[in-house]
Amino acid sequence: MRLPKFMSGLGLVALVVAAPAQAAGDLLVAPTRVILDGARGTEVILNNIDSETATYRVSLEVRRMNADGTLDEVEPEKATAAEAQALSMITYAPRRIELAPNQPQAIRIGVRSPADLPDGEYRVHMLFRAIPTARSVTETQTTDSGLSIALTPIYGVTIPVIIRKGALKATAAIGDARIDRSTGQPELTMSLSREGSRSTYGRIRVLKPGKSTPVFEVRGVAVYPEVNKRAVSFPIDAQTAAQLAGPATVQYLEEADAGGRVIAETQTVIR
Amino acid sequence: MNIRTLKAVAAGSVLALGLVSGAANAATADGTARATILQQVTVTNTSDLQFGTVAIGTGGGSVTVATGGGRTCATTLVCSGATTAAGFAVAGAVGMNVGVTVPGSVTLTETGGATMSATLNSSAASLTLAGTAADAFSVGGTLNVGGSQAAGAYAGTFTVTVNYQ
Repeated sequence: MRLPKFMSGLGLVALVVAAPAQAAGDLLVAPTRVILDGARGTEVILNNIDSETATYRVSLEVRRMNADGTLDEVEPEKATAAEAQALSMITYAPRRIELAPNQPQAIRIGVRSPADLPDGEYRVHMLFRAIPTARSVTETQTTDSGLSIALTPIYGVTIPVIIRKGALKATAAIGDARIDRSTGQPELTMSLSREGSRSTYGRIRVLKPGKSTPVFEVRGVAVYPEVNKRAVSFPIDAQTAAQLAGPATVQYLEEADAGGRVIAETQTVIR
Repeated sequence: MNIRTLKAVAAGSVLALGLVSGAANAATADGTARATILQQVTVTNTSDLQFGTVAIGTGGGSVTVATGGGRTCATTLVCSGATTAAGFAVAGAVGMNVGVTVPGSVTLTETGGATMSATLNSSAASLTLAGTAADAFSVGGTLNVGGSQAAGAYAGTFTVTVNYQ
């Protein structure tokens, strides 16, 4: 048991608010997306950016996209055959690492795909998080009728790890681009529909006639195969909302490192 | 906030981990060094979810800490102490859209085995990173205290993830 000095002085006199429980485990992960074509593996860097030594755990999860674009975790026993296949094909190590402050560690990721693997896109999400230091509840003191509460966050990052086999294609379309003012904070919303045997990924931007640079741009937007249509919504400030209103070209483009191709484009009037 | 520069990571990667993208194909004697610049993300915990101290007055009830940190205490309870919402800062490539997942509920357990449930909510389900202090979210919650809830120290954990698509 480790009591802060000021608390041990108080002894059992009074009830004390749940001990400050600043969890160690701030982290850096790079890159934030992994695509594996063929048998070659890759590495992801995990770095402890906290001021104390922390133990991190790396694991694989199945996550599915919802119609609003959020990614919900799915328990392994509820995974589809393709999701279970993805889980079993990806090898990675190490899985538990103790890192001193500012000490980076490479996590090696490999693919072990069966020879008869059907063409397709296989995806899992890799979770990086710190294991919280075990904290004894006796570190907090209570009176007879009091309750003290210590809720420790376990926080981390998930990145998609995608394996593609075969010649896969996908097309997408943009629909219903508009400004939603119903919640007070204006939001640029639109729908992205997708068809084909793979996901789409890239940036969304809005071009206005007479302006050489996009008036709006956001990166890192995916439509995964489990959804054929998803909504996207981005909070915007009043100034951007005013700039967006009127005739516009809305584009969904691949990232530059993936070719920069226009996946979908629509001419519309944003209201 | 502990944010390391991209440069430091890239350099570290090259030196420690050999992540050089490829040897130069230069025909002359002048070498060309190329390094892969990786897109990175950092997540930092800036504050914890603190409900303060709760005592049962006339009966059970709920205590809510909003994502802004403010407390709402049922009249049947006696609440004291400072409250904060859990705060997290995210830093990454500007313009990236990232999701945030927080469990809807969590169970807290007391040393004697008594349990208490809490519901959690996040200030944002997604963020578009702007490279500013606004790249952050907070997690608040509602603690459901039973009328005959055993006194003691309740502890629990909840998992918060920043999800790249």
